[in-house]
Amino acid sequence: MRTPTPHALLSLTVNGDRHVVAAAPHHSLLEVLRYDLGLTGTKQGCDKGDCGACTVLIDGEPVLACCTLAATVRPGAQITTIEGLAGPAGRLDPVQEAFDRCGALQCGFCQPGMMLSARALLNRDAAPSDTAIREALGGNLCRCTGYTQIFEAVKLAAALARGESGASIDPTPPAEGYTVLGARHRKADGHGKATGAAVYTDDFNPPRMLHAKILRSPHAHARIVRIDTSRAAALPGVFAVLTGEALPRTYGVIPWTEDETALAIDRVRFVGEEVAAVAAVDEETANAALRLIDVEYEPLPPVLTPEAALAPGAPELFPGRRGGNLTKHVRLDFGDVDAALSNADALVEGEYFFEGTAHAPIEPHCAIAEYDARGLLTLHSATQIPHYVHRTLAKTLDLPSERVRVVQPALGGAFGGKSDPFGHEIVAAKLAMMTGRPVKILLTREETFYTHRGRHPMQMHMRLAANAEGRLTGLDSKILIDGGAYSSFGLVTSYYSGQLLTAPTGFETYRFDASRAFTNKPPCGPKRGHGSVQPRFAFEIQLDKMAEKLGLDPIELRRRNDVGPDTTTVNGQRITSNGFLECLRVVEQASGWRERRGKLGFGRGLGVAGSCYISGTAYPVYPNEMPQSGVQVRLDRSGRAHVMCGASDIGQGSDSMLAYIVAEELGLRPDDIRVTSSDTDLSPVDLGAYSSRVTFMAGNACREAASALSTLVREAVASKLEVPGREVACTPGRWFWLGDPTRGMDTREAFVLAEAAHGTLGATGGYRTDKTLGGPYRGGTIGASPAYSFTAHVAEVAVDVETGFVNVKKIWAAHDCGFALNPMIVEGQIAGSVYMGWAEAVMEEHAFAYGGPNPGLLRGPNLLDYRIPTTVEAPEIECHIVQSIDPNGPYGAKEAGEGPLHPVLPAIANAIYDAVGVRLDRLPFHPWRVREALRAAGRMGGR
Amino acid sequence: MSLHISAAPVLEPRTLAEALDLRASHPEAMPLAGGTDVMVYLEGGVIDPPRFLNLWGIAELGGLSRTGDALRIGALVTHTDVVRSPDAQALAPALVEACRTVGAVQIQNRGTIGGNVVNASPAGDTLPVLLALDAEFELHSAARGQRRVPAAQFWQGYRRMDLAPDELLVAVHVPAPSPGDRTFFRKVGTRQAQSISKVVLGARVRLDAATGTVTEARIAYGSVAATPVRCPATEAALIGRRRGDLAAAADTVATEIRPIDDVRSTAEYRLAVAVRVLRGWLAAV
Repeated sequence: MRTPTPHALLSLTVNGDRHVVAAAPHHSLLEVLRYDLGLTGTKQGCDKGDCGACTVLIDGEPVLACCTLAATVRPGAQITTIEGLAGPAGRLDPVQEAFDRCGALQCGFCQPGMMLSARALLNRDAAPSDTAIREALGGNLCRCTGYTQIFEAVKLAAALARGESGASIDPTPPAEGYTVLGARHRKADGHGKATGAAVYTDDFNPPRMLHAKILRSPHAHARIVRIDTSRAAALPGVFAVLTGEALPRTYGVIPWTEDETALAIDRVRFVGEEVAAVAAVDEETANAALRLIDVEYEPLPPVLTPEAALAPGAPELFPGRRGGNLTKHVRLDFGDVDAALSNADALVEGEYFFEGTAHAPIEPHCAIAEYDARGLLTLHSATQIPHYVHRTLAKTLDLPSERVRVVQPALGGAFGGKSDPFGHEIVAAKLAMMTGRPVKILLTREETFYTHRGRHPMQMHMRLAANAEGRLTGLDSKILIDGGAYSSFGLVTSYYSGQLLTAPTGFETYRFDASRAFTNKPPCGPKRGHGSVQPRFAFEIQLDKMAEKLGLDPIELRRRNDVGPDTTTVNGQRITSNGFLECLRVVEQASGWRERRGKLGFGRGLGVAGSCYISGTAYPVYPNEMPQSGVQVRLDRSGRAHVMCGASDIGQGSDSMLAYIVAEELGLRPDDIRVTSSDTDLSPVDLGAYSSRVTFMAGNACREAASALSTLVREAVASKLEVPGREVACTPGRWFWLGDPTRGMDTREAFVLAEAAHGTLGATGGYRTDKTLGGPYRGGTIGASPAYSFTAHVAEVAVDVETGFVNVKKIWAAHDCGFALNPMIVEGQIAGSVYMGWAEAVMEEHAFAYGGPNPGLLRGPNLLDYRIPTTVEAPEIECHIVQSIDPNGPYGAKEAGEGPLHPVLPAIANAIYDAVGVRLDRLPFHPWRVREALRAAGRMGGR
Repeated sequence: MSLHISAAPVLEPRTLAEALDLRASHPEAMPLAGGTDVMVYLEGGVIDPPRFLNLWGIAELGGLSRTGDALRIGALVTHTDVVRSPDAQALAPALVEACRTVGAVQIQNRGTIGGNVVNASPAGDTLPVLLALDAEFELHSAARGQRRVPAAQFWQGYRRMDLAPDELLVAVHVPAPSPGDRTFFRKVGTRQAQSISKVVLGARVRLDAATGTVTEARIAYGSVAATPVRCPATEAALIGRRRGDLAAAADTVATEIRPIDDVRSTAEYRLAVAVRVLRGWLAAV
């Protein structure tokens, strides 16, 4: 052990309780609260004072606990954390009630800090203006909500505190024909997230736990000549040191492209790649040990762009690999595109570039592994796909699957960034097996940027043909994809870049040619709208250009080429329900499109775009005949239901969705339902939270299980009431005879009757996809989905010609989600998607050094320089739900979590054109880039 | 949570005199006020001080008051204190505006004016305003008592300043404005809150009441050089110009600042925005 740090005795008053804490004198208030006092409701998001998740109140004023040296807190100062916000006997503060009721608690990770900032504001100002709310919350970054529902919540909290009539936290009435569904309910996990009680991975600290840290490559491309860990291993307090040789099995989320190892072997392929790991008594010792590991590198020339990677003679990332640096090439032809292009009455050709972006959930990656004497490995991890982590651990560690358990605790945002099985998860598990102790790895914010798997940069060239009537006759699309150092989901990305473009606006012939190249940068992967946000950006601008060329209104061009419902697209995808025309109608009307477009004066403008997205994929990433989603429901005589499902609630509300369905079917209130999800020992397999599959697939599985139980309860009630079963119905809390609703019983009694009649009450449900979906060609199954969502947005922008700043004033978003099981949650998904797309359009950029002394170095791997938007700049978002009632969705529901992101970026680009007459075909729309475009177009005077 | 430092005991003076003695006897100890910069450097492994000198709570370093014709701002006065101070609002509205743009509420509640000055970041939001207002910094040492340094002479190079190892910044003095003074603050940041500036401008012109001509000018920028800088040529170009005819002088800025490219902006953009923002204000004065 190192010389123990002399601890200082601190006297702190937290939530009214006086504590004397022996703390290391250099510890922040955040460390003392979380580690010494166990008040884990205060979150760590960035380590650097950028995110606000660690906000606490000192004497009523918000401060950042991570930037406050604990020793400098004046004795007697009153510290308030989220655990102290509720009043006596746990009565929730109006802020907590309102955040829960308004859907402001998605992943919930940033919300303790956000709620405390809101409380401080309301203490000073009982009726704050919109501006005051935005300014007061400007230091609290949220990645889920788009802030819209947070603003609503603060206003509702103020109204509740003022005792205004009409201010209510009750649910709204359900949809017609339902007793629960369609109502705006609180979320199943809302209370835990409102109070800080929800346990996220890093909040979990088993006894005897070690802390692990990972040594990372300083080179973009190098051969590892030698690693000497002897000095690190000899450091007192170090329990184990690990290098790549101990974990030789390759893995990857797609079984055909398993090219990763948990720690680099022989070669590093990007700055920040994992090279070695240490488990030690604490993080400081582990970090000290990392500095004692000697690695000799032989630097190799890096390839940093896909063009360079595919050039003849380029250095290879995987020497000897068939295909060299080309991860995947896809070319598909549908009809005679060349004829369509040469016969076109109008042709639009464009070159587009989509810069890479990161997910940046406020919760960093974290994993805790435990391995016991029976050989049972348990991994708690901040993952959105426990099932694939389970498979990967079994494979890479040579363990039987039944010896591995993966648990996903509450998750602080993911957006696709927690979809891959990760090296740090395998490393934590291996270190636990080596030491026999629990091992935690918490990545720093900087490390999350190296872990990446963010949006792929894409260079896109499109040619679009139309005839004089405005009918689109052909699209030729060529795409070059920057994959980063490993395959990850890249095979799917390559297909998605073409396969998801063929609706809602159709074309008669189509060719796409996509190439994904390896580069010496952190690996790209799936980010919300995986693979299709980039080509959608290009295509919807192409449509805008085509409309202008044809002299048509851009909305009218889309109407004329709408593929419609119950059809098959040019590439063979089956479309069932389709509410796109209604989406267009709604945003056209709501935005005042006809009266306002082109008439707002120089500097202001409107733009439109549309899109569609999958509700899950018909085929899982590894071929098998089992259900994609399994649900188990059990009832008991207490009048309670317990639903178990492997689906991952990542803040999007899947636990709530399960609870609402069980409540609807079984005469329960959502509060009566316990949900156990994403624990591979306790819940049936579900393939995880990706491809917008959960509501559609787990929802259907849950409905099947709940309906089976409902039949049993109905029979027992009918028998008791001596009426036909078909005349028995339920509503939350009660089962009754439709013929005379006064004849009935409460739900608990109904369950008692059913348990007496049928024995212990339990049922399972499963969702299997229709394996006939997709086109009859190689790759035709990729992009095949049981149902597609549709979206249309109109954006309004103001462009400041002086500074080049694009101010997005408002976005009208209409989304066809089939049926809204809870409109509040659907609106949260729409607003969150809109926010994320808008941020990618105007601010976010995964920027690298391409030259200089450190080529391949990520510039600004932190939440200050990777700029995610604050409350202050968030645009107004108006959400409209369109319900096309899908024939195969649960109660008609389809996805809502990814589709609404797609149209935002091109709608903004098209609005900028309407505002100032320049086309921005390259993302993001930095002010300096906008100025350059304006100058090139001669639309600004002077410098 | 990672900390790349060894144990750093905290020195806890109770008075300014004790603090100055400890500053002299323990020059290795890093002075610490609100900690909003120091804790970030510590967490990032940028600094590794063996110990801290905790100044937070020393009464003589606090207090915001109007003394005679000037504002005295204690080094420990937070940005929030400035924003809420009626005296600051009356005498130094541009400084109030600057304080409102620092980080966000949490940083403003903890970060201090003194910390902003001695952290000496070229992007420090309040620093160009202090230059424009001809602020003076009151520095104390146990050995030599106190002295005052004008802001214009304080920052000497990248994070280098006229501050001896045994000195502490005790207060910032801001002269009261003259009747003809017009002041301005503008931050063009990377985003609207929690933002690092791409360009920050603090400016003041003094207009002759009778003729409307400029008799004194201060033009200062942040984020365009290794320190916050004044633009003497632009200031000279403004002298004698008449109100309504000031804007053209802004072009002179292009001859005397040389911003750089970085992840937050481009050199060309910084220069263009620096000129345009100033020109826009001068046209409206």
